[in-house]
Amino acid sequence: MQVFLQTFIGGVSLGAIYALVALGFSLVYRTMGLVNFAHGNVVTVGAYLASTFYLSTKLPFALAMLVAILLTGAIGLVIERVLRPLENRDFDLMLIGTIGFGIVLDALIIMIWGATGRAVPSPVPAAPLELFGVRIRTYDLVVLAIAATATVLLVFFLSRTKRGAAMQAVAMDHEAATAVGIHVGRSNAVAFMIGAGLAALAGGLVGPLLYVSPAMGGALGIKGFAAAILGGFGSIPGAVVGGLAIGVLDSFTAGHFQGYSELVTFLVFTVIIVIRPTGVFGERTVNRA
Amino acid sequence: MSGATFTVAGLTVHYGGVCAVRDVGFEVPAGQAVGVIGANGAGKTSTLKAIMGLVPRTVAALRFGDVDLSRVAARDMVRHGIGYVPEGRHVFPGLTVEKNLLLGAYARRWDAQVRAALAEVYELFPVLAQMRGRLAGALSGGQQQMLAIGRALMSRPRLLLLDEPSMGLSPKLVEDILAVLQRLGREGLSMLLVEQNAKLTFEATLSCLVVENGVVAMTGTSAELRHDPRVRKIYLGL
Amino acid sequence: MRYRIALLLALAVAGWLLPYGLDSYAIHVVNVIIIFALLAIGLGLAMGVGGQVNLAQVAFFGVGAYVTAILTTKAGFGFWVSALLAVVATAAIGLLVGTPALRIQSHYLGIVTLGLALAFTNWVTNAQLAGGAEGISAIPVPVLPGVDLSSEYLFYYFELIVLVLALAFGLFVVRTGLGRRMRATRDDALAAGALGAEVPMLRMTAFLLASVYGGVAGVLYAGLIRYVAPESFGIANMFLLLAMVIIGGRQSLIGCVVGAIGLSVVRELLVDHPTYAQLAYGAVVVLTVVFAPTGLAGLPARIRARLVRRTAGAAQLRPFQPYEPVAAPADSSVLLRVDGVYKQFRGLKALDGVSLTVPRGEIRGIVGPNGSGKTTLFNVISGLYRPTAGRVEFDGREMTGKAPYRVARAGMARTFQNLRLFGDLTVAENVLVALDRSRTADGWRYVVNPFSVHRQDRRLRAAAGEVLERYGLTEFAGAVPRALPYGTQRRVEIARAVAARPRLLLLDEPAAGLNGDEVRQLGEMVRSIRDSGITVVVIEHNMGLVMSLCERITVLAGGAVITEGTPAEVAAAPAVIEAYLGDSMSDGDLPVPTEVKQ
Repeated sequence: MQVFLQTFIGGVSLGAIYALVALGFSLVYRTMGLVNFAHGNVVTVGAYLASTFYLSTKLPFALAMLVAILLTGAIGLVIERVLRPLENRDFDLMLIGTIGFGIVLDALIIMIWGATGRAVPSPVPAAPLELFGVRIRTYDLVVLAIAATATVLLVFFLSRTKRGAAMQAVAMDHEAATAVGIHVGRSNAVAFMIGAGLAALAGGLVGPLLYVSPAMGGALGIKGFAAAILGGFGSIPGAVVGGLAIGVLDSFTAGHFQGYSELVTFLVFTVIIVIRPTGVFGERTVNRA
Repeated sequence: MSGATFTVAGLTVHYGGVCAVRDVGFEVPAGQAVGVIGANGAGKTSTLKAIMGLVPRTVAALRFGDVDLSRVAARDMVRHGIGYVPEGRHVFPGLTVEKNLLLGAYARRWDAQVRAALAEVYELFPVLAQMRGRLAGALSGGQQQMLAIGRALMSRPRLLLLDEPSMGLSPKLVEDILAVLQRLGREGLSMLLVEQNAKLTFEATLSCLVVENGVVAMTGTSAELRHDPRVRKIYLGL
Repeated sequence: MRYRIALLLALAVAGWLLPYGLDSYAIHVVNVIIIFALLAIGLGLAMGVGGQVNLAQVAFFGVGAYVTAILTTKAGFGFWVSALLAVVATAAIGLLVGTPALRIQSHYLGIVTLGLALAFTNWVTNAQLAGGAEGISAIPVPVLPGVDLSSEYLFYYFELIVLVLALAFGLFVVRTGLGRRMRATRDDALAAGALGAEVPMLRMTAFLLASVYGGVAGVLYAGLIRYVAPESFGIANMFLLLAMVIIGGRQSLIGCVVGAIGLSVVRELLVDHPTYAQLAYGAVVVLTVVFAPTGLAGLPARIRARLVRRTAGAAQLRPFQPYEPVAAPADSSVLLRVDGVYKQFRGLKALDGVSLTVPRGEIRGIVGPNGSGKTTLFNVISGLYRPTAGRVEFDGREMTGKAPYRVARAGMARTFQNLRLFGDLTVAENVLVALDRSRTADGWRYVVNPFSVHRQDRRLRAAAGEVLERYGLTEFAGAVPRALPYGTQRRVEIARAVAARPRLLLLDEPAAGLNGDEVRQLGEMVRSIRDSGITVVVIEHNMGLVMSLCERITVLAGGAVITEGTPAEVAAAPAVIEAYLGDSMSDGDLPVPTEVKQ
């Protein structure tokens, strides 16, 4: 039981990261109907930017994260603007367009920061806390707290603000949205920017947990994407549940299956998706008529 | 409020090789209701969408009072006082009734005035007040129609464009819609009502255009047209 | 034609002479390029021709290579036996990967295929059998009597022959029935199903083809490098392949080859700056997708379109040639029976207990105001929607809820309100898809007896020529739908539906957007189609056409049948006037329409 709980807890903080990545995917999908295959690369950019400001320029961790988020958000704006002609027209081509951006970002990362990675020290003391016989690292709690806060802010934004409502309206009916005065292109740009910001947040937070390298975005992106789909693509609670689920699943398979953990995760994911493509909470998305 | 006349002239719309609307023109005098009727496929909806700028169009003149609207983007029409109720309702199904209504006032600040407008809409459509927390997608067709009209009213428009509000509704609901339109007319709102239901249109408007194959085939006061046998012939394509 | 043969000969000679000018490093590069070209063709078949997002192509590559490696080094099989088993194994994996494609498409398929590719990498990196991160080395040289395949130069000729055969086979598939049906499914799966194309099987076939090509490429790789390791089969190479296919033009197999060669050459030139190369081709992918989605292969057509703009109006629509009337059937038994059909969507009851029967040989009209459920009714009858309750019976057979392609194969054809022609197929190919009744399962004939496939294709083309001739479309045979005037496109859709040799033809607003003259021609066409033995049901708003064309009319309003009868009866029925005009008419000052009988 002890081991079970430990494994479970061990998966939750990484699961929170996956949840953040999944939130970014789901937000962009829910508002634009676009699957952003460059999302994982954006996470990596966020991780490198945050760690650079933290390590090289010695900014406090929180500030480094903030700068990274802002800069990465700008990247999101660029991607949306370039792919705007394809919006609401050819989804498959948009998908491939984002893959192209992913390739570009990957190359830029290597060109700027080199192909070897870096380790990022934890910004809080590394000594783990003991709660009910289970060990939790302080940093894990920090990650959970920040991820939870980000989720709450996102939900607040979507459900309580005018722009958040407008963003969802655009996805549901972009013609009616235009008729009430909403600028569809700008709304999509903001959605993309927030999605990129969430990716950067995830990347910045994951630095002290994993080794920051050009390849990290691939694994995180894929798992975040799977988490988003598992929970119901476009659904906010779905992204959170999916992320935590995959984090925990990862933790368990790493223990039992060692190196095969990714394989197992994927087989499980594929089976679930084929049985119930709309995921746990159901898909919430753009009207593709 | 001193009124502004809404003027359209030379409106033409092409869809993928077909000319859906050809050289249509008319006026909506301030505070009056004008109807556009015709059989299906006659070009009525295309006319409204073209006025809003939601489809590509060429137009010789598009004016509201002395403001030239011919270069205004579709999303800015609401800021010039034009409210739009699309064909088929087009409410935002995943948002609540109240959120839908509030979005109607997107172009304004969500302040006390908007709250007042919301109260007015609830007074006009009591059933919406009852269902304010329900998702719009769960409403019946008639309720969604009221929601769509309410949403358009939230921007306090001076001209309301309505596209087939009676479509798919039972006769009782059509009567309810008629009552609302007549009330809005008495309150001084200019209206352009596109409809397939000629009876509703004659009772809600003062003058009408009859559109056939994308051109204006007849015009006249609703009182005259109501008894004109030519209208029926145009409808039944004979 | 002569030009083409000369070009092919020149390429053959160039291909034969190529190794003579190259040093051993260069020939190695060329050999790798050929392998990538094979992979690109496979990817193009799945994505460009089949319309399936296939991010597992690199995993197929890996399976082919690794199975060859494992069977030769661990199980002691000879190279060729291992190669054969490897291709079979890859094909099996291809079918497995294609199974999700039956239920999901687009981005879901992308993530599932990508995930499976990653799973493959994960497995080979960890499994003992696959040699883990170090891979498997010392794969034996394939033995060919008299030829030393350890020489890269000779291996080149071996690969070249394989590539040429593979490309030829690929082109053969694309230009004949199977490829056409795949392309039709890609362009418009709904319309393809309505014409009898077995959409799920065709999607599986796309994956099967991609995996076989991937497997063959893997085998060649194992024989060439004689060492396999996980890095060669990872995501980086998958995205590189994708870039090759997108830049080259995914719908053209030759474009895929060009893309593979071009991108590989660029990477070779920038071999000292691999990251710059990656930046470059990533950027080109984005630019291609936004500005030139058809890739390099599509450029000639676009340039031609720009230059030849003026002479576009040359092709003429010729008049319709009426069919030989067939004797009216002795029995006018019921062909279509709709029994108490309800269709409920979330919050909307579209059909409310609709019943109607259509006897053989009748032209039936279905009319009603906007939103009365007419198209929904067609969608239920043709299998696009499953009714919430009620039955559909066609020619005595139960059709309720059957998949559209089964309904189509039972003898029903339809047109669509919003015109659903296959956008990237020519007019002739659109008609060919309808004429082609072969089953996907017969695809094995492509391998075993390609000549029979070729013969069948010739027969189909002749039949298509006759159909086009009859509908006056001969001059448009090679044109793409979007280049045609609207009225011509409508006629193509009707010709296509009739080419499927249905017993029942459903026409959904065929007169929409047509001018008076075209409407008149339409009426004559429909009457002639009926005279040839096909029962017709027409949804229309153009009441003049309906009154003069249809023998009986069913009127829908609010999802229910409110009246049915002859045109005269319906025109006078107060319920109909009320439904349309919202006014009841009792003064009877409406003139009774006179029908123009043939």
